[in-house]
Amino acid sequence: MNSLNLSSRLLLRQSRSGSLWMLIAGLVVATAAISAVTLFTDRIGRALEQQAGETLAADLVLAGRTPIAQDIEQLADQNQLSSSRMIMLSTVLFSDQDSSLFDVKGVSPGYPLRGRLLTAAQANAEDRATDQIPAPGTAWIEPRGLRILDIEVGDLVYMGEHELVIDRVLTYEPDRGGGPFMLSPRLLVNYSDVETSGLLGPGTRVNYRLLVAGAETAVQAFGNRVEPLLQDRQRLVTATEADNQTGAALEQARRFLAVAALTAVILAAVAVLLSAVRFTRSQRDLIAVLKAFGASSGEIMRALMLLLLWLVLLAVTGGLVLGWIGQQAITEILSAQMTLPLPFPRWTVMLGCAAFTLLLAAGFALPPLIGLRKVPPMRILNRSLDQRPSLGRIGWLVPIAAALAIPVLQLSDLQLALLMLGGSALLALALAIAAWLAMRITRVLARRSRGAWRFGLAGLSRRQGASVLQITALGLGLMSLLLLMIVRAELITQWQASLPENTPDHFVVNLQPDQAEPFEAALIDMGAESLQVRPMANANLVSISGERPDRDRFTGQVNLSWIDQLPPANEVIDGEFWSPGATGQISLSERWAERVGVEVGDTMTFDAGGQTFNATVTSIRRVDWNSFNVNFFILVTPEAAALLPHQFIASFYRPESAAEALDELARGYPNASVLDVGALIQRVFDIISQVSRAAQVVFAFTLVAGLIVLLAALEATRDQRRTESALIRTLGAGNATVRTGLLIEYSIMALIAASLATAGAAIIGWLMARELFQFSYQPSPMLFITGFLVSFLLVVGAGWLGNRSVLKTPPERILRAG
Amino acid sequence: MSVSNASHATPAPARSEQILSAERVDFSVDAPGGRLTILNNISLSLNSGQTLAIVGASGSGKTTLLGLLAGLETPTNGHIELAGTQLNELSEDQRAALRRARVGFVFQSFHLLPSMTALENVMLALEIAQLDQVRERALSALEQVGLSHRLEHYPRQLSGGEQQRVAIARAFASNPDILFADEPTGNLDRSNGNAIADLLFALNEQHGTALVLVTHDMKLAERCQRIAIMDDGRLSEQPPE
Repeated sequence: MNSLNLSSRLLLRQSRSGSLWMLIAGLVVATAAISAVTLFTDRIGRALEQQAGETLAADLVLAGRTPIAQDIEQLADQNQLSSSRMIMLSTVLFSDQDSSLFDVKGVSPGYPLRGRLLTAAQANAEDRATDQIPAPGTAWIEPRGLRILDIEVGDLVYMGEHELVIDRVLTYEPDRGGGPFMLSPRLLVNYSDVETSGLLGPGTRVNYRLLVAGAETAVQAFGNRVEPLLQDRQRLVTATEADNQTGAALEQARRFLAVAALTAVILAAVAVLLSAVRFTRSQRDLIAVLKAFGASSGEIMRALMLLLLWLVLLAVTGGLVLGWIGQQAITEILSAQMTLPLPFPRWTVMLGCAAFTLLLAAGFALPPLIGLRKVPPMRILNRSLDQRPSLGRIGWLVPIAAALAIPVLQLSDLQLALLMLGGSALLALALAIAAWLAMRITRVLARRSRGAWRFGLAGLSRRQGASVLQITALGLGLMSLLLLMIVRAELITQWQASLPENTPDHFVVNLQPDQAEPFEAALIDMGAESLQVRPMANANLVSISGERPDRDRFTGQVNLSWIDQLPPANEVIDGEFWSPGATGQISLSERWAERVGVEVGDTMTFDAGGQTFNATVTSIRRVDWNSFNVNFFILVTPEAAALLPHQFIASFYRPESAAEALDELARGYPNASVLDVGALIQRVFDIISQVSRAAQVVFAFTLVAGLIVLLAALEATRDQRRTESALIRTLGAGNATVRTGLLIEYSIMALIAASLATAGAAIIGWLMARELFQFSYQPSPMLFITGFLVSFLLVVGAGWLGNRSVLKTPPERILRAG
Repeated sequence: MSVSNASHATPAPARSEQILSAERVDFSVDAPGGRLTILNNISLSLNSGQTLAIVGASGSGKTTLLGLLAGLETPTNGHIELAGTQLNELSEDQRAALRRARVGFVFQSFHLLPSMTALENVMLALEIAQLDQVRERALSALEQVGLSHRLEHYPRQLSGGEQQRVAIARAFASNPDILFADEPTGNLDRSNGNAIADLLFALNEQHGTALVLVTHDMKLAERCQRIAIMDDGRLSEQPPE
């Protein structure tokens, strides 16, 4: 008979067999989980990327020192992209009272293409989002600009040849950029006013920008067309290049979602393997019969592969439909909470999921299925002549690796994937070893015990191989559930807590040395928290170990500070930080040292205002740039204060009640600039909370996969357990003996699996926090107590429920059915 | 056709050519205590249409010999010829091809596929044998064993006797030259066992099939033309009465 015919007959005829449904369920769940998670994370990821586009106020920006040609703007139109022009320059603005250097930004209608502007009618008034831009002849000013020029809304400012009326107060612009150290305040004006201001003469440092936004493919196409047309000093800036606090938060958010997807992958793989092993075990008699009746190994193998292909097709279809519905449901649930519109799911992601299912089946289900071709036909007469089913050779690692590589590629985070897969592999190994040891012990105990204990203990040790596999799978399933239910919540809470409520939200720059102390005292008086006042010198880096450094944006003019002890949010990773009183030493941030190529032991020479400072690098620090503390790439020992001209910089958290006091204080120090980064910090908090909500829904899918693994693991030995129970009931054992025996067996499995899963979840959580989210996670006693108890009860309960039918079915029926 | 009808069927023409022969066959396996010899220097032959019973105590090796004779396994030493073909020279797949063309089986524990109906079980064997008119042949075979009214029943819905009838229908449906039966009544009570034996011998006679029957039931063995006794891996044939 031909293999196609045999495979379809097997599929159709076996469709009534429970074990085949289990395998299909495994594949469907795998596909559904993967497709829901990857489709959703892909959509979320792209949406977040677009939101990251807010930091550009566009999806793509063409920036340069020369005006941007008209035909490039037309090209954007041709690609159905919305576009907006922008000019930025630094210039001195005048009011009737004062003058100061401002960063002027001229924008055309449509700006910002991503994100929204927030403005207020007055300083300290409530701000609102707007889709407008300043009308010609008017300007919107940053609150501190009002203070610096000593003006109010309605007053005039003079910009080049124009007089502009201050119309509103600008409190937030999505593409503020420049970080907290942008010294000059912002004035937002109409594009035409800058063009006609007479300020764009030769020698003026002007930044011309064309902002574009629209469909992803159109933006890409536009980028590709424009790339070859770029002139000198023009470049394309993409949203992903946004290197700022928001970007860092988004990156961490994406990692949370990736954890969910990878956990689902691991669980799905385990579920498929367990179901395939159970299915093949139930098929050995069938294969022996087929062979006895004359089916060849080749026919059987082809039929089995085709059978698997049918299953994959069914699973891909069913799984993708479920996955699609799932991700749509998540989107619906979150739509009220999501400010960002999600882009449409991509077919390429679905194709990737289909390929994943195929490889998953090839890697995890095919080896046990192919093993069936070795079933000897003699099995039909004498089962003892059958070989033990094995999972085959190492060659199967290829499709397994390929199956696991797909989500890794889709999520493009190798470090995370290695951590998750490596952690799971290590835990699986630990579980297998622990289970094996436990089996050895139970074998000894079984010999010494009686009644139900003997039945329970002997049951475990008799199925040594199956029990080890079962405990390993249970442990992995439980670990993922614990990771999702407890560790995830703790990670998110502790991550949020890593940006405490009183994170510095104000910076003061340009304080002169004699002003630092009284200013600090005034800040303390007004209740400022998390206060840090630090010296800052701007110096030229003259040489590194006697050689002139390469030109780089990191070298040349550098900011450095001095301190006599390691500042907060810093960790020494190489060398040793100096003790108070030390001199001639330098400590560098890891990022700067790597970029410039400086190591501990190198000497560096700085020059500022004719003074030279020479010192040796004695430590390299890892700096938590997300802490919003004042941090420096370069720290030196305090004797530099006497050599280098410097100013002071302060960071602090301003309580709401101190707003007016701070304005008052700032007026007393006109040379100092006070910067409010509260909006930026709020934005980071918003992103964290939004993504943690999204992650919860994504994790729900992984949770289902975890539960399926638990059930598959418990089902794996159910048939054998049923037969044995029927046998001892036939021999006269009461239901109580069988029940106690089963409870003992499940309890021992649960004890091993729950203990190791709890420890594994704590270790993986700690590693994830340390390596990926850069904070220190402390597993709570709740994880160890509740997590363990819940896991234990879940396994015993589920095992118990699954085996209730064992006690209800007359033993004769079970034994007859074989 | 029912059982009673079957016994009145016209016998197939007698065939005298040799269908099966075994020459100095040994079979041993690796066991925890070392090499274990199961069959020792066994020789026999069987002509077409002949019936041979192999009797012996449990563990004497009779079922293993049946498997070797049917080409389910190859001997450690010696030669077996089935339907004019040396089994030793064939690969497992070639032996499978020979079985599907010439051999039928009836097992002690029936070995029906639990997820298939009686009709589907018979059809599957015919499909493997790559015969045409599979459904018609299966229907006819089931009618011969008196199960026309049980076509769509699953094995679990059939009694032991009925299950063995399905297995017999499956074995004869492809019209094999030789039938191997391993304790065909071993799982049945006396009355069902007798009925199955009647059916088996009736169909055997009707189809002119050679039969190798393994049993420890001497009464059943005595219905065969020849009886060979298996004792501790050695075979000796009882002289005909």
